[in-house]
Amino acid sequence: MTVSKRICKRAFAGAVAYLALAGAAFSQSSEVRIEPGAPIVIGGYWVLSGGDAALGNDQKRGVELAIKDLNGTILNHPVRLLAEDSQCSAEGGQTAATKLASNPAVVGVIGPSCSSEATAAAPILWNAGLVSIGTSATAPSLTAPDRKADYKGFLRTVFSDADQGPADAKWIHDGLKAKTVVTIHDGSPYTQQLTAEMAKTFTGLGGKIASQEAVAPTDVDMRPLLARIATEKPDAVYVPIFVPATAQILKQAKQTPGLEKVAFIGGGGTMSPDIMDAAGDAVIGFYGAFPDVTPEAQGKDYPKLLQNYQDEYGEAPTSGFVANAYDALTLLRMALEKSAKTEADGTVVVDKKALHDALFTIKFSGMSGDISCTADGQCSAFKPGIYQYQSADRSSFAIGTNPKKIYP
Amino acid sequence: MSETSLITAAPGASARKRINGIDIFMWVLRCAVAAIALFGTVATLLEGRYSLAQWFDFAMFGLTLGSVYALIALGYTMVYGVLRMINFAHGDITMTGAFAGYFVATGASRSGLLAAHPILAILAIFTIAMVTCIAVALATERFAYRPFRNSPGQAPLICAIGVSFVLEQTVRGMFGSGVKSYPVTPWQDAVVTPLGMRIPVINLFVMGCAISAMVILYLIVHRTRMGMAMRAVSEDKAAASLMGVDVDRVVVFAFALGGAMAGVASVCYALIYQQVHFFMGFAPGIKAFGAAVLGGIGSIPGAMVGGMFLGLIEAVGPALFLDGLGITAPYQLRDAIGFLVLLMVLIFRPQGLFGEAMAKKRA
Repeated sequence: MTVSKRICKRAFAGAVAYLALAGAAFSQSSEVRIEPGAPIVIGGYWVLSGGDAALGNDQKRGVELAIKDLNGTILNHPVRLLAEDSQCSAEGGQTAATKLASNPAVVGVIGPSCSSEATAAAPILWNAGLVSIGTSATAPSLTAPDRKADYKGFLRTVFSDADQGPADAKWIHDGLKAKTVVTIHDGSPYTQQLTAEMAKTFTGLGGKIASQEAVAPTDVDMRPLLARIATEKPDAVYVPIFVPATAQILKQAKQTPGLEKVAFIGGGGTMSPDIMDAAGDAVIGFYGAFPDVTPEAQGKDYPKLLQNYQDEYGEAPTSGFVANAYDALTLLRMALEKSAKTEADGTVVVDKKALHDALFTIKFSGMSGDISCTADGQCSAFKPGIYQYQSADRSSFAIGTNPKKIYP
Repeated sequence: MSETSLITAAPGASARKRINGIDIFMWVLRCAVAAIALFGTVATLLEGRYSLAQWFDFAMFGLTLGSVYALIALGYTMVYGVLRMINFAHGDITMTGAFAGYFVATGASRSGLLAAHPILAILAIFTIAMVTCIAVALATERFAYRPFRNSPGQAPLICAIGVSFVLEQTVRGMFGSGVKSYPVTPWQDAVVTPLGMRIPVINLFVMGCAISAMVILYLIVHRTRMGMAMRAVSEDKAAASLMGVDVDRVVVFAFALGGAMAGVASVCYALIYQQVHFFMGFAPGIKAFGAAVLGGIGSIPGAMVGGMFLGLIEAVGPALFLDGLGITAPYQLRDAIGFLVLLMVLIFRPQGLFGEAMAKKRA
């Protein structure tokens, strides 16, 4: 009894000490002092393991290449990148952010890859005074005008999905010259918001939305729905949903009288070779509305970055987000140079609040295009693109050639 | 349910009051649903958005989908009729057949056999799919169900759910999680137009398959010695065993028949929807189970009618009931409508459309 009591007491004392320490770590000062010779520590968090690891690795390497191009120094101090694996999940983001936030040496954070990570992590980092710059997290809410105060420290050098729907509407109206359009979503928030945004803009441009339909992602029998759509005689069908349902719609539309020649426009959910397997030859002629990620849409130095990447890692990047990550580091570097104070002995003092404010004043032409932040933290413009599938041969899949970029 | 329970209920005042409350609620519910459906139907028809030919198209889509449900439902019913056990893995057994058929079909398509000798190729696809389904069904029965056949409680049911996961994940592990496209032949797009109505040949083919499968099963169960043994085991396992019926053999036969139905269903499904996917068996499996219950589980014509009915409601229901009510995106609610109708039927007839004789026997 007494022994267990004593253990309890000790455990309690330990817990109090731990909490005190943790509290001390979190309630850290508003500035970071970097003594001469000590490194400037920049945090990073991306998905570095699991199925999406390629996505996060590209971005981590983009930051590494940017640091290398600075000869590894900012303000005459060596730069150290402290990268955490946040696994493309809210839990992973939370863990990574907690680790980075408790490290008093970190001046700012770059990442993440996924919006779920950012949603969980950005408030934790900002509550510790740390800014974070997203490199491929594109959910509209992260930089929406009505975002919570917790997210004030989050910026991103990548586009927002909020611009996808309006951009699609513009192309369908001006590029495709469609007058009457039917939209189809699959009940998920992403597709529902996308179709609603597109419909709103399209109506505003003077087009007619004949109806806004929906399917379940697991539906296989689309014929009744397509027969219904055929009665509305649309010029185009906007269907930014995922592979299985899209494939069924494309196949069965070919057998529906009145829809054989109608244009079908998909979204990011079908920008993968899986749609070719699933839809077979019905994929030919199918449009994909997706941000322009081809090399020519990036900044003028992008080819050099690709070459450096190839030289450094012996392979090509799997996505264009490497440029966005490179620009995130450039943005942070420029803000540091603008806001940090160097004392006589070479000690650099970074005021976190000043760093945050400085980020919003920076403008430059980066690897991914022009970077300039709005008050909501949106630093990169949306570059719309329209692609069209040319063949159903899986091995020919390459965004830009098949599906071929037809706009701009 | 309510009529009989009212008559047989104890005449205690409190009991009568409670039953009356439920009774009134049920009637209000029925009337409300019927009124909404009627109002929607009238409004849709007055709107005149769809032509007669389009209504006919809807009905054809429904009957085709219903035929696939019916074929799968026949498999549920065969096993249930004999073992009183719900083979929840049946949908996934169908999926294994679809994959087997897919590999034969792609092979035949690449070698040109599918185009040159379509009948031969289709026969080969059917045979391989049926053999695969029968093999999987029998293996399932031997290793997953037989050890638990006499154990009390829900062990066989849980086992069936387990088998369902095992089959899905095995196929996913072996062939990947992507959706695969079934090869198409030109005759699949052929259309006949009697009396100006447009009927794809493939729909007629699938309906023909379903109806012949039902007739064959019915004849087997009611006209052969094995069928008699099946009915005997269904009635009383112990007594049948005492009369010299080999129960294991009968059960194996029932599973083999169920597997064969799954094989036919899988090829029909793939011919119409032209996709195979490791998870494809789940949704039709649930729907077909609903169809079997709707028709009266254990009844062969019941499974057929239940399947056709559910398919028809799913295809026609959203346009017929909801369009007139001004509900947007009515096809999103097709499952809700299908299962609501199923629920309504079961409220009126808990034993299902054709389940009366069975229900009485078992009571």
